[in-house]
Amino acid sequence: MEWETVIGLEVHVQLRTRTKMFCACRTSFGDPPNTNVCPVCLGLPGALPVPNAEAVRLGAAAALALGCTVRHTSVFARKNYFYPDLPKGYQISQFDQPLATGGRVAFESPERGRVQVGITRLHLEEDAGKLVHDRFPGKTAVDLNRAGVPLAEIVSEPDLRSPAEARAYLTTLRQILIYAGASECSMEQGSLRVDANISIRRPGESRLGTKAEVKNLNSFANVERALEAERDRQMGLLDRGERVAQVTLLFNAASGQVKQLRSKEESHDYRYFPDPDLPSLVLDEAWIAERREALPELPEARRSRLELALGIPAYDARVITSEVPLADYFESVVAQGVDPKAAANWVMGDVLATFNETGGFPVSADRLAGLVSLVRAGTLSHQAAKRVYAEMAHSPDGEPAAVAERLGLVQVSDQGALTGWVDEVLAANPAEVARYRAGETKLMGFFVGQVMKRSQGKADPKGVQPVLAEKLK
Amino acid sequence: MSIGRDEVLHVARLAELAVRDGELDRLVEQLNRIVDYVAQLDRVPAAARMAEPFVPGPRSVALREDVVDPVPLARPPAALAPEFADGFFLVPRHGAMEDS
Amino acid sequence: MSASAVARETGARLAAAQPLNAVLHWSQDLLDAEAARVDAMRTRGPLAAVPLALKDNIVTVEQPTTCASRILEGYLSPFTATVVNRLRAAGVLIAAKTNMDEFAMGSSTEHSAYGRVNHPADPARVPGGSSGGSAALVAAGVVPVALGSETGGSVRQPASFCGVVGMKPSYGRVSRYGLVAFGSSLDCISIFSRNVMDAGRVLSVMSGHDPLDATTVDQAPMPMPSGLGDLRGLRIGLPREYYPEDLDPGVAAALQSTREVIRDLGAEIVDVSLPHSPFAVPTYYIVAPAEAAANLARYDGVRYGPRGAGPDGDIRSLYQATRGEGFGAEVRRRILVGTYVLSAGYYDAYYRKAQQVRALIAEDFQRVFASGVDLLLTPTTPTPAFRAGEKTADPVSMYLADIFVCAISLAGLPAVSLPAGRSEGLPVGAQLIAPYFQEERLLAAAAAIERALPAEAEVR
Repeated sequence: MEWETVIGLEVHVQLRTRTKMFCACRTSFGDPPNTNVCPVCLGLPGALPVPNAEAVRLGAAAALALGCTVRHTSVFARKNYFYPDLPKGYQISQFDQPLATGGRVAFESPERGRVQVGITRLHLEEDAGKLVHDRFPGKTAVDLNRAGVPLAEIVSEPDLRSPAEARAYLTTLRQILIYAGASECSMEQGSLRVDANISIRRPGESRLGTKAEVKNLNSFANVERALEAERDRQMGLLDRGERVAQVTLLFNAASGQVKQLRSKEESHDYRYFPDPDLPSLVLDEAWIAERREALPELPEARRSRLELALGIPAYDARVITSEVPLADYFESVVAQGVDPKAAANWVMGDVLATFNETGGFPVSADRLAGLVSLVRAGTLSHQAAKRVYAEMAHSPDGEPAAVAERLGLVQVSDQGALTGWVDEVLAANPAEVARYRAGETKLMGFFVGQVMKRSQGKADPKGVQPVLAEKLK
Repeated sequence: MSIGRDEVLHVARLAELAVRDGELDRLVEQLNRIVDYVAQLDRVPAAARMAEPFVPGPRSVALREDVVDPVPLARPPAALAPEFADGFFLVPRHGAMEDS
Repeated sequence: MSASAVARETGARLAAAQPLNAVLHWSQDLLDAEAARVDAMRTRGPLAAVPLALKDNIVTVEQPTTCASRILEGYLSPFTATVVNRLRAAGVLIAAKTNMDEFAMGSSTEHSAYGRVNHPADPARVPGGSSGGSAALVAAGVVPVALGSETGGSVRQPASFCGVVGMKPSYGRVSRYGLVAFGSSLDCISIFSRNVMDAGRVLSVMSGHDPLDATTVDQAPMPMPSGLGDLRGLRIGLPREYYPEDLDPGVAAALQSTREVIRDLGAEIVDVSLPHSPFAVPTYYIVAPAEAAANLARYDGVRYGPRGAGPDGDIRSLYQATRGEGFGAEVRRRILVGTYVLSAGYYDAYYRKAQQVRALIAEDFQRVFASGVDLLLTPTTPTPAFRAGEKTADPVSMYLADIFVCAISLAGLPAVSLPAGRSEGLPVGAQLIAPYFQEERLLAAAAAIERALPAEAEVR
């Protein structure tokens, strides 16, 4: 039977601030437990929240980057439930008056080509603490360093039609948020988390089926896997004529299975009401306009600029803009006068490999530009240049010319030297010389290769061929 | 409107309050008395009620700049906690939380 | 007189006042340490060597803060309230932490886990509440000033019962940082004193924006009061809803004589109406419990406070035992009511409706003040101090003790209760209400009336 999958995502991202959402504690990751805490984030009697201006700015930047309308008035609300990681017994969030509403994100769907997903809302809230279950027998340990860290929750419309599409949307969303400077979006450090709602219906039906919520999705790959597992489970139920119940599920990455969750999700009565400790968040038109002005160039815009202004292929532009630092690096190299396509090849090849390995650029854009110009001038072969690059990446001191010199890789086009190597090669390969002279001219490549080898790559291949041709006459 | 025993127990569960033995009937009676009393707000005609809620104090929230400056603790979490070890607050193991 | 000498005398008075059960924590050592600090101050502050008692819901590092609840038994705060820091910088000695209704929920100070407070003039009666301990200490002359907190009249009402001045500032005038929250949109740290000037001096020191409390208004502290008030040319409104037919005759008589004093001082008296004020108590008993239910969720036995042992040994069992055993009956009732009115299906019928009526109540005041009325005069309480045990069986009858103070709290306005005479030996209070942030006008008028009122005289 045919089914249509309907998916909406709720994405929590940590906003890139120094301090927490409602207190002046550090947000740093990996500190000893319960060291970044104060009366506010411990939920002590008498403590009061005061919102972080930077979190509001970054939340607004994220919202604008996602095409949302930032509301002039939004309201912090208390979401009430008990959990040991929630110090106050309520989470300060936003409910019926969120920071921003009504955005959209365009991306390439693996099945449907270019599609748009609606962004229902973006709101600000505080994170809970961390629970550790495996450290003390029979106990759960509570670390409140994370409690109060600022989050933006980004809720999409149920516009996604497959698990793979959900993943592609997430990739695009992540890129936009990083470009906007709103979040680092690191799943490892917990600064991006995903909950998914998924339901199944007949194609063409407008009503949504009963949805399940899948939580604990700790990588984009797992989002896709978990949604596939849940889609298959729901389709199986419906195929057997059974009904899908509204449930909350946890994904177990090890088993690839989803499992029903109990505890707090049992009673979904959060008793939201406006937080009386916090007056409304009022943002005027000028402030919002200022945030819009301050937005950096977003991935879409940058991609098309690189394509149109620099004339590099669409594929190259997509790879290069996938990471902000990579695109910045590429543009710096081009700014040195390097041919964009040559720069793109380098950036997508050796540079990207180094970046993935080290997270940085040990060979500065200046030096890469210098290296490329040595190739262009015929001073280095492409092969030699790759060796110089590797050397510079390994020990980042020295200009490319000096490194090439040190490695003895500077290309030789001096006639005397070339003739010497050619003579040696011809003398060492009399049989091939005879065959060439008998008309087997495709052996020219063999001779050039031998000369390159004998010269340890230093011979200028463009100079070698005329000398060989002359000698083999 | 009247609140039944089940409803009182449900609300007590939401509020994580143990209801003591023999206390329930009296609680049901008292809560009904209070809820009946506050229900007199129904006498204010809906048309007269203000659309905008009234909130005293500043009209808009004053924000704090993003500077690390927490109010210092005169005594550490360990000195406050009923159960604490190696920097952590401890609670009984919660089965349903083990996967998260 | 040196602060050290004041500390010794205050200590002696605190020891002698023990039968009132008005104090939860004090020690001569701490009082002496406070005095040594004040005596060492290089400049003499505006409240130098003034001993002051704090309601036990205002946190200090040195003494426990229990809110008169078992759930905070022995709790020592790791930080100090903003108001205490400001008062200390002005030279105040923190003398004691006072008894109260548990978490400030009550109107008689009978709902304390540490026993009820006795009325200073008649131990069979209550001092009012919830700040009954602070009221009793000032009335008994143990300290000249004490802080209480108001959520729905918890300072004005006991001030009226005990025959002292009770002053509630505008919401947003004084920082709540370090005041244990009950109803956050209503809570105001407020002042008991023996005269209006002292209340003004304390308010001046405490008031002003606090970067740690987002609900404080960004305004400079109130200036020190000059003490010379004049009523000439003022229009003082009498809202008819506050003078019901069945008003206690003693209270009615005290208000009658207050009106005459005001007229003699040159003010014009006008009749006004606040038609939604009769809905203040039911509105309050939705809004305050709703906020309280959330504010009191933090007492879960995880991070501080004593922990109850649940029968099942799991986290829910721990929560329910800690909270079930730690909170007293009135607090549990209000948590349940507050949870109920916010719960799914009931929010619109209760909480939203209460918010709407609250706006009407506040608008009534705005309209009357905008019509050229400068201040309002009402009784503070419908009766003088009632007997202990009289209203504990029926929670609603207790709530009605706040019938004339609740609306002002809902509207966030400043008000003061003045001793206006005695009825059968028991004090009666008159309440003056001012527009938002008009504390200077309020205190100047109150001081003028205070000078002319025979506060200790029998009114009938």
